[in-house]
Amino acid sequence: MPPSDLRQLFVVSKYELLKYLRGKRLLIIIALIAIIGALNLVVPPTIGSGYDPDPVAFSSGMLNEIGILVVLCATFFGADAIVSEFEQKTGLVLFSNAVKRHVVLLGKFVASAVVSVGAVALYYAITVIAVVVIDGSVAANTSLSFLYALAYLFGILAIAYLFSVVLKSSVYSIVLTFFTFFLILPIVDRVGSTIAHFKPWFSITFASGIILNIFQQPYPTDVVRTVQRTFGSTTRTLTVAQYYPSVGQGLAVIFVYFVVGLVLALLIMRTREM
Amino acid sequence: MTDVIVTENLRKQFGQLEALRDLNLKIEPGVCVGYLGPNGAGKTTTIKILTSLMRPTGGRAFLNGTDVVRNPKQALASVGAVVETPQLYPQLTPVEILSYFGHLRGLDRNEIRERTIVVLEDVKMSESANKRTGDFSTGMKQRVAIAQALLHDPSILILDEPTIGLDPRGMIEVRELIRHLKLRDFTIFMSSHLLNEVQEVCDKVAIVDKGTLLAYDTVANLSKLSEGVVSLTAVEPITANQCASVQALPNVRSVTRVDTSELLIAVDGGLREQAELLAQIHRVGIRVAFYRPAQSAIEDVYLRLVPEEEV
Repeated sequence: MPPSDLRQLFVVSKYELLKYLRGKRLLIIIALIAIIGALNLVVPPTIGSGYDPDPVAFSSGMLNEIGILVVLCATFFGADAIVSEFEQKTGLVLFSNAVKRHVVLLGKFVASAVVSVGAVALYYAITVIAVVVIDGSVAANTSLSFLYALAYLFGILAIAYLFSVVLKSSVYSIVLTFFTFFLILPIVDRVGSTIAHFKPWFSITFASGIILNIFQQPYPTDVVRTVQRTFGSTTRTLTVAQYYPSVGQGLAVIFVYFVVGLVLALLIMRTREM
Repeated sequence: MTDVIVTENLRKQFGQLEALRDLNLKIEPGVCVGYLGPNGAGKTTTIKILTSLMRPTGGRAFLNGTDVVRNPKQALASVGAVVETPQLYPQLTPVEILSYFGHLRGLDRNEIRERTIVVLEDVKMSESANKRTGDFSTGMKQRVAIAQALLHDPSILILDEPTIGLDPRGMIEVRELIRHLKLRDFTIFMSSHLLNEVQEVCDKVAIVDKGTLLAYDTVANLSKLSEGVVSLTAVEPITANQCASVQALPNVRSVTRVDTSELLIAVDGGLREQAELLAQIHRVGIRVAFYRPAQSAIEDVYLRLVPEEEV
């Protein structure tokens, strides 16, 4: 008899991890982490500006690219995890086994999460080591920032899996995942904040602001003010707004993306045919 | 004895296309069944429903008495399947792939190790056991896929065109393997478009067309249907009028057009009647190049059951 669902989930995760370890994508992510880290550490002294002596500012600077890294991890390790089984016909073997579809999806999700968490943890480790070596202490709230980054990773990974279950092409899924979180939602965030003057609280990329905002003391709050600007002979009143997600709101939005993405992916996965 | 593969009024619709129409099939344990039909007849759809790769629009399918749609995990527990031409994970070796599926099926480490050696030997892949499958040919991948289907020593083996993609030697070896498996009381359900292959290997034959089961019987019984059938090949294309004239000749039971210049003619009587028929065919104006007893029983039955445009 086949083993329990939990045991099968572990088996799927184990062999998915083996595939990632043998593949090129993990190497690319590690190379990107090395490049981003190196740029942050090499450029300041090279251009003569030196390192920021404040651990908080230095950490924030180093972690500025964490959002990109999270999106790349979700794209590399989640976006085609399911669709490739259908497109490349490897699922003809996997899904004709005595294993439930949702077990396969969750097993793959766990593997994607493990390898992505490893990548994000590696970058935080590089940051912490660099800050300790250069500034002598760790920035307060680094661990919270790390946890928020992981939450953001899980939220995006769930949506990447949803795309992977719905779409029929790996390329479409990869492109849609990357552009949704790297381009489309950030544009919505920016247009909302600066032009339309609404708070894009519903956007997961906006919510991800908590990863860096947590370093600021006190935690920033929304600022909406009007300013007078003179253009030639006319004076106009402009509204300038800076919106920040609160920690609770940010985590709640990320959680909703995670739950909705994963539940929908599981439901659709049950009915998807080869 | 309980039937191990059962379909009850199985239906599958793709938009307007009805791929399966109330397919009813009952396969008893320990037989090797060849599943024949033209392209688009519903063979792969049936197999995909049986292996839980696809959901039926209506009806039910059972493996070892368990509903495949309601409880696929239990239904597939003792099933090994190779559907279409599956691909393998290029990062893994055959040994790792077998270990993966062995663990999924609940085999322990020692069982996996022992069975891996046996099944890779069975499919002649022992030499490539530890090479990554990324560079494997289609035939090599097919062999590994067959190995994974055999790994847990299932009671039912479902094979969709198992020799497709194999070179002639590979095809012969897979047929030998299936014959060998038959001796071990496997129930084998095998789709194929190679009629001779099915006749050589299988005990029973199911013929399906347009989603409907046309015939299901032993090879021996089906062969009886083709007794007294002669194959006629003409020098020129045979016209519809000539065909109708042949149909009207004495002792002719039926005429099936195989292609423009070839007919299968079922004749009542023995050699004397067949010789008389040949003389009359000449009078109809058909210049006969070959006139001989039909050679492959299954081929003849297939050609008579499946309309010409589908062949």
